[in-house]
Amino acid sequence: MKSPVSSALNRLVGWARRKSPWAVHFNSGSCNGCDIEILATLPPRHDVERLGIKLQGSPRHADVLIATGPVTRQARDRLRRIYEQMPEPKYVVAIGSCAISGGVFDGCYNCLGGIDKVIPVDAYIPGCPPRPQAIIDGLVKLLQGKKEAPCPPGNEGTAVQEEATA
Amino acid sequence: MTEQALKEAVEILQPWTQETRTPEDGRVDVIVEVKDLLAAVAALHERPWGQLTAITGLDSPESGQIEVIYHFRHRAAVVGLRVRTPRDAASVPTICTIIPSASFFEAELREMLGVDVVGTPHPGKLFIPDDWPEGVYPLRKDFSQQSLLSGAGKPPAATTPDRKPRSFIIPIGPQHPALKEPGHFEFTVDGEIVTNAWARLGYAHRGIEKAMEERTWIQNLYLAERICGICSHVHAMTYCQGVEKLAGVEVPPRARAIRVLMAELERIHSHMLWVGVCAHEAGFETLFMYSWRDRETVMDLLERLSGNRVNYSANVLGGVKFDVNEEQAEAIRKGLDFLEQRLHHYLDVVMKDESFLGRTKGIGALTQAQADRLGTVGPTARASGVSRDMRLDSPYAAYPDLSIKIVVEKTGDLLARFMTRIKELFESVRVIREILDKMPPGDLSVRVRTKIPEGETVSCAEAPRGELFYFIKSCGGDKPDRIKVRTPTLSNWGAVLSTVVGGQLADVPMILAGVDPCFSCNDRMVRIRTGDSEQRDWSWEELRRYGIEYYRWKS
Repeated sequence: MKSPVSSALNRLVGWARRKSPWAVHFNSGSCNGCDIEILATLPPRHDVERLGIKLQGSPRHADVLIATGPVTRQARDRLRRIYEQMPEPKYVVAIGSCAISGGVFDGCYNCLGGIDKVIPVDAYIPGCPPRPQAIIDGLVKLLQGKKEAPCPPGNEGTAVQEEATA
Repeated sequence: MTEQALKEAVEILQPWTQETRTPEDGRVDVIVEVKDLLAAVAALHERPWGQLTAITGLDSPESGQIEVIYHFRHRAAVVGLRVRTPRDAASVPTICTIIPSASFFEAELREMLGVDVVGTPHPGKLFIPDDWPEGVYPLRKDFSQQSLLSGAGKPPAATTPDRKPRSFIIPIGPQHPALKEPGHFEFTVDGEIVTNAWARLGYAHRGIEKAMEERTWIQNLYLAERICGICSHVHAMTYCQGVEKLAGVEVPPRARAIRVLMAELERIHSHMLWVGVCAHEAGFETLFMYSWRDRETVMDLLERLSGNRVNYSANVLGGVKFDVNEEQAEAIRKGLDFLEQRLHHYLDVVMKDESFLGRTKGIGALTQAQADRLGTVGPTARASGVSRDMRLDSPYAAYPDLSIKIVVEKTGDLLARFMTRIKELFESVRVIREILDKMPPGDLSVRVRTKIPEGETVSCAEAPRGELFYFIKSCGGDKPDRIKVRTPTLSNWGAVLSTVVGGQLADVPMILAGVDPCFSCNDRMVRIRTGDSEQRDWSWEELRRYGIEYYRWKS
């Protein structure tokens, strides 16, 4: 059932989420290149905080999981746990060639070959590594696609779906 | 001088020597029997002659034997102590009783090659994941991923350690806000004082050494570059130098100069990155922002030269890919002028800021004797007064023609590590100017055949974090037979985990970051304990059970 109040509230929450996503970063066995480029989005040259994007330490406070690396066997459970600890709605961004397909590590015995082998991924940012600008652009594209605030699974009955406004 | 050092080593090892070989200049291989290994290692260690650099295991199914090589280095001289052990009952005694830091290297022997290291102080899983099946050794030649799949459903039986909780343990990682790489640490604390430290790495273990055996010499270039995204150039360069030595080609002088130019630019970007990260651990965000802002200058230069910010792909077998023209050289000079000015500011801040000094002065100090004994390398060793630098000890590429001044500090604390790195930056700036001024003319590369002649070689370089060691073996094909990589971080772990014990918990992140750890380089799983002698190596299941028991015991 749609109520005007919950509809307005939902729109407000969706707007806030789009405007100020908090991201948590996890390295699942990458070479560091991508991680350093993610960090390079923080200092004054790119300064993502001015855009409302904040790198957050705890997965429990995060909206977006920024994951890098080809997922090693040892990191697999941790990646899954971090994803499960994040509150709904949550998005996953796979950064770099090896996070997408295993990249240069494809076929290595200890690599599973990509983030989406373990958890669902919403956006892929290719590159070895992608430039900081590409990372910011990818995040913006992801958030532009999420015009509404999705509801946690199981609550779809009460979900208020709104039309995309743009 | 190198010849003399080698002669001395051969004399020391004389009583146990079965055979002596000289595979190349600056190297001697001494073959001893397994039963004499300990005596031989002890003799080298007691003299003292050099330090243990790495342990390589070579599997040879044809002869039914596994060969273990203990590489010792004294400046440019490298002695390989080789022992052979039967493949189906492979076993060597531990040398940790003589050289404690060897446990990291021995771990690889046990888990990757299935060599039983008798008496090792750290049994249990170190490299490979928790659910790895027993009896599967990835670096053996008959390993196939099939054996991994069929056995993967049967993890080894877990045993619950009988242990009553006595102490408070703070777990950190593998996902944590301080370091951007996965590593798991547990610190036992008594109030604010750390009484025990434990690390479980290997979250970034990708199995690169095995993958290198399956790819061609040229493909491996790209793999070597991606061992680490921070010091990517030095990995590729060390690999290339080794392969070129085997192929017997001489790299043109201009290519060697460009290699050094890239390596020094990389050192600047890596050290500035470190200054930022370490300041961030101290809560000094301003310095982090400043140093990373200025680091972008180097990133721009690297991009201008190579077209990429991180993996520059400058090397090819036999030379380099791109040239440096006058316009680029001018841009580099300008960038360096700016950076040099900023570096003076950083040095000033690090040495004079009272609150920052409170976090660095006297913290995590490592004496010269400790640094030597623990086998530390790079700026960590130099901050403790150990003058060890591959650029001087065993000059490679264009370094023989350049004047490098080694930066050595005495105190070994965090302040000394800051000073060493920042002063090294000045040195790098000076070296780059020198290269640009004396850039030799000529070709950029020579042809290297796709098949590399049979042989073994050792290739070393000074990475930003310390000595990088490659052992390369070719059987004459288009693929290597074995490539062993020993990265500087692996040698520096002992330093971290022994200096945190006894210190404040709040200093732990800075001490951890203080050696500039690089987990992806490290590429392996290590478990280290200091402080007490309790055995700890738990699987996830044991940890879960332990948690349940703990709360039962508490209530």
